[in-house]
Amino acid sequence: MLMSLSTNLLESYQNQIQKNYDEIKDADGKIKPHWQQLFSTLEKLGLEELNARCTGIISKLRENGVTYNIYESSADGHNRPWKLDPIPFLLHEKEWELISKGLIQRAKLMDAIYQDIYGPQRLIKDGILPPHVVYGNYGFFRSCYDVKLPSKNQLIIYATDFARGPDQRMWVLDSRTQSPSGSGYALENRSVISKFLPELTEGMTLNRLAPFFNTLQQSILNLSKTGKGQPNIVYLTPGPHTETYFEHTYLASYLGYTLVQGDDLMVRDNKVWLKSITGLEQVDVIIRRIDDEYADPLELREDSRLGVPGLLKAIRSGNVVVLNPPGSSVLENNALLPFMSSACEYFFGEKLLMPNIATWWCGQKRELDYVMENLHKLIIKKANRNERYRSIFARTLSPAELEKLRKEILEKPADYVAQQESQLSTTPSFVDGKIEPRFAAMRAFLVSDGEEYHVLKGGLTRSSAASDRFVISNQLGGISKDTWIVGDKDTQPKEKLVVASTDSFKHQTSLPSRSAENLFWAGRYCERSMTTTKWIKILFNTLHDNVTLGGSPKSQHITVLLQALTHLTLSYPGFLEESLCENPYEEILQLTSQLTKSGSLAAALQSFLRGVISVNDKWNHDTRRNINAIEDSLWELKGLQTSNPNTIQRGLDRLQTRLFAFYGVIAESHPRDAAFYLFESGKLIERILAKISVLRTGLSTQNDFPVEKEVMEAILINHHLLVYYRQLYKSHISIETVLDMVILDEKLPYSLTSLLSQLFDYISKLPNYKDPERLSTAAKFVLEASTKIKLAKIEELVLSDEDAYRLHLDKLLSELYDLISSVTASLTNQYFTHTTMQHSLMKNPENTDNNEI
Amino acid sequence: MKYKLKHKTIYRYFEPVNTYHSVVCLEPLNNEIQVCKNFQLLISPSIPTTSINKRLDFFGNTNHYFSIETPHKELVVEAVSEVESKPQKLNPALLSITCAETLDLIQANRDLRVSIWQYMIESPFIHWDEEIKAFALPSFQPNRPLHEAVKDLCHRIFTEFKFVSNYTNINTPIKTVLRERKGVCQDFSHLAIASIRSMGFAARYVSGYLETKPPKGQKKLQGSDASHAWISVYIPHAGWCEFDPTNDLIPEERHIVTSYGRDYSDVVPLKGVIFSSGRHTLSVEVDVIPLEDN
Repeated sequence: MLMSLSTNLLESYQNQIQKNYDEIKDADGKIKPHWQQLFSTLEKLGLEELNARCTGIISKLRENGVTYNIYESSADGHNRPWKLDPIPFLLHEKEWELISKGLIQRAKLMDAIYQDIYGPQRLIKDGILPPHVVYGNYGFFRSCYDVKLPSKNQLIIYATDFARGPDQRMWVLDSRTQSPSGSGYALENRSVISKFLPELTEGMTLNRLAPFFNTLQQSILNLSKTGKGQPNIVYLTPGPHTETYFEHTYLASYLGYTLVQGDDLMVRDNKVWLKSITGLEQVDVIIRRIDDEYADPLELREDSRLGVPGLLKAIRSGNVVVLNPPGSSVLENNALLPFMSSACEYFFGEKLLMPNIATWWCGQKRELDYVMENLHKLIIKKANRNERYRSIFARTLSPAELEKLRKEILEKPADYVAQQESQLSTTPSFVDGKIEPRFAAMRAFLVSDGEEYHVLKGGLTRSSAASDRFVISNQLGGISKDTWIVGDKDTQPKEKLVVASTDSFKHQTSLPSRSAENLFWAGRYCERSMTTTKWIKILFNTLHDNVTLGGSPKSQHITVLLQALTHLTLSYPGFLEESLCENPYEEILQLTSQLTKSGSLAAALQSFLRGVISVNDKWNHDTRRNINAIEDSLWELKGLQTSNPNTIQRGLDRLQTRLFAFYGVIAESHPRDAAFYLFESGKLIERILAKISVLRTGLSTQNDFPVEKEVMEAILINHHLLVYYRQLYKSHISIETVLDMVILDEKLPYSLTSLLSQLFDYISKLPNYKDPERLSTAAKFVLEASTKIKLAKIEELVLSDEDAYRLHLDKLLSELYDLISSVTASLTNQYFTHTTMQHSLMKNPENTDNNEI
Repeated sequence: MKYKLKHKTIYRYFEPVNTYHSVVCLEPLNNEIQVCKNFQLLISPSIPTTSINKRLDFFGNTNHYFSIETPHKELVVEAVSEVESKPQKLNPALLSITCAETLDLIQANRDLRVSIWQYMIESPFIHWDEEIKAFALPSFQPNRPLHEAVKDLCHRIFTEFKFVSNYTNINTPIKTVLRERKGVCQDFSHLAIASIRSMGFAARYVSGYLETKPPKGQKKLQGSDASHAWISVYIPHAGWCEFDPTNDLIPEERHIVTSYGRDYSDVVPLKGVIFSSGRHTLSVEVDVIPLEDN
């Protein structure tokens, strides 16, 4: 159907272009050669193929876990996948050179304004800026007036949004200065597009993104010159609930910095320290992704739990560099826009190379009058950025609404700005299987090496979801595009490869205590999911066989196995109420799919995902893909409505394979570092405890042989040993041989003794910085358990008393259980002690919002 | 007047606190009408005095920073100093500018506007609406001298409002204070500042101490004084002039200034962040002791 269009793609696109200027045309209305080239490649590809590739891109992004969390919908834990248009946004490098000059001028101007506002305030004194734009600016933090970086430029990282205006020049729409986001998404967009649409670059040379990130690393290194060689650089995120968390983990691992949250850091002696599992490490540079007001609860927002108390003091003492310095949000104010041009003249004696979108600040009489007269055709925004207040397109308002808006503005005029709704250019976008013109804006990224600014040759372009309006916010459903700065085929790429000093290649091995704890618990919950899955599968098989063989549902062995599930998941009373055993499926369904049921598989998976995602920077690409597959399983299980065992089983089979694959990738590829040993220790501890729990329920009390036979078979399956057992012993089954195998046989990876040796090995490899010469307390517990089991005698373990109670077996198992449980407590004491809460002794009355991307 | 000043704050925690970060704003100002000598900060658990950092804040007030890294269940911060205060000499001739003239002057003089702007607009604790404007209006007749108008406002607050401790806290909105007609010195100062700013004038918050006199025939009790708050209003030609709405008087030697800010949030005497799981209690003792040679 798609191919039946008679005209070619370029023609049919041209027919759709409205009166607006479109990116594909130059000033004379001719198609720009690089767009011509792109369309001819698209033509060859065909819409149908483009559609197929687009589907591939969507699932790839999903698989890679590229998300943009949205506040309203993140409550249910569902991340919103990133949207990427397969058609890139193209700019020729000749035009880009001009744009870059404008961007660099703008960055220098922003830096000069920043330094003036927190310094001599000449702009106010000399009448360039009205005082209100500074003093009424929520981003102006008086406690930051003496926070200075040791470099010429203070604004190190800068991002700005721009779009093409009717005069064909690029107009600046907005700036991001406190913790600019988006460059990580730009990287990911590039990587996905080049995988799925490699032929699109045909006939052009495309500028690479990597050199910019080299410059970024080198600049950060320059700023952190501490004279002690390898600087400790951390990337400070508010945590997994932030909308751009994907990008924080992505960039932290791309740049090789330790991803931390506020409570991983502390200030002591005016220095910042990272709480790591090997003690306190001094931090030299913090790249922050938390907003200004949250950076230091002592001197900024008192109720902030995201920042580091005493941080401002540490920066003032010159002991740490924070990028961008707190206070830079003063520049993210719409009321500044109208004054950029005169500020540029004032500081540099130059005209602005890139104009702003026309903006009127209502805090001035003349401007207010203009806005009141022309309100119906303007866009109204708050001067102080406020996410809850969406831009109002006044032309869409009813007369009554317009009157209400007018009254609101007149009440507090200084709170508002108005902008012209301009005819910005459109660009080809792939929408519902067709190529259509959409408004688009590009975000450019700059970094200063301390002295001068460098521009990323590329960026993040976002196009409007609606066709009639310019709304590019990700929160409002905008779509991103890869951004190409292209040269002609015959020109060689002129980029210099920056050779970073060897310092920047040195690997950071810090493992924050919080990450350590998350890794450990990710291991535990992963294995808890695994053991629950395994046991429910065993139960289904047994229940099926029982039906096939015409057994009663009240068969005793089934009751034992069902009760083992209750003990395993600690979901009491569960099957200990024997009436439940008659129709067990409903309880099993709940234990599988109900997030709110304590001990359920869904709950364990959820906890696993929470832990594993909060240390996302530790995983390689393949591991992340597996994590996403497991997340899919959770959604599948949560959606189960039926207690039809076949449906549940299929879901469990898939999940089990995914969990095994996850273990496999880690075993095959993860470096043997503390992160690995903690994850594996968590996994082994959980596995040992689970195996013990089942053994105790199944075998501590001797049953009649036919019942015990069934139980023993289930236990062998639980240890992945039934096939092996039959090879050795054929159909002969006895308690001696079974216990020997599942408890004592060192050759078998799932025997308790093997699991304990493995655990001892891993725990001994964890850093024991307090006393490196001795075994840690945790290792001692494991050694004790391991020794106890090695000394056990099978002939004693199988003995039962007159009540059919196997005292020796139960005693041994319960001692092991207690010892291994103590391991968690001693690991917590040694590595994870950061859990004390922080309180402010003065409550903050203010309540302001977060910034979006 | 010469005074010995003691301001002792005691925190008691139910659970041991391991880390405490603090910034205090307790050192009296040094200026032409007030001299502060021998300021000392005594902290328990004790820390080396070299680890206390001094810094001037944006408004020129003195802040001290310190941290305690040892587990403790009680924290005592005692600020001690000697202060000599001289009466502010106001030339009555300079206080004649009327409200209307002041507004015209602010409108006409950009340099003036720049220098006082942050005391004319909303700030974290200072917001106003029609209700507060309506309350302020009767005092600020256009032809009345501004100084007299503010005095009248303070007099109205003094007579119409009741001083009631523990009824409000620092987060009680000004509107509640206005409606309930009761509060403490912070509330009255914030109400006065909001009223004055709502009329288009500049007002700031003053944090400090007031020497109190015991009832006739009784001896002054130790720790019976309190930290105090009042206001400072910009009167063209005369400069910043102080008023005490809580006591309906013009501050003189008995008022000792620690700091100036837009409102309480700029001059919190003692701010801190603790790492602990528990609750705490707080007690404050203040003594303003006149010295012998007065």
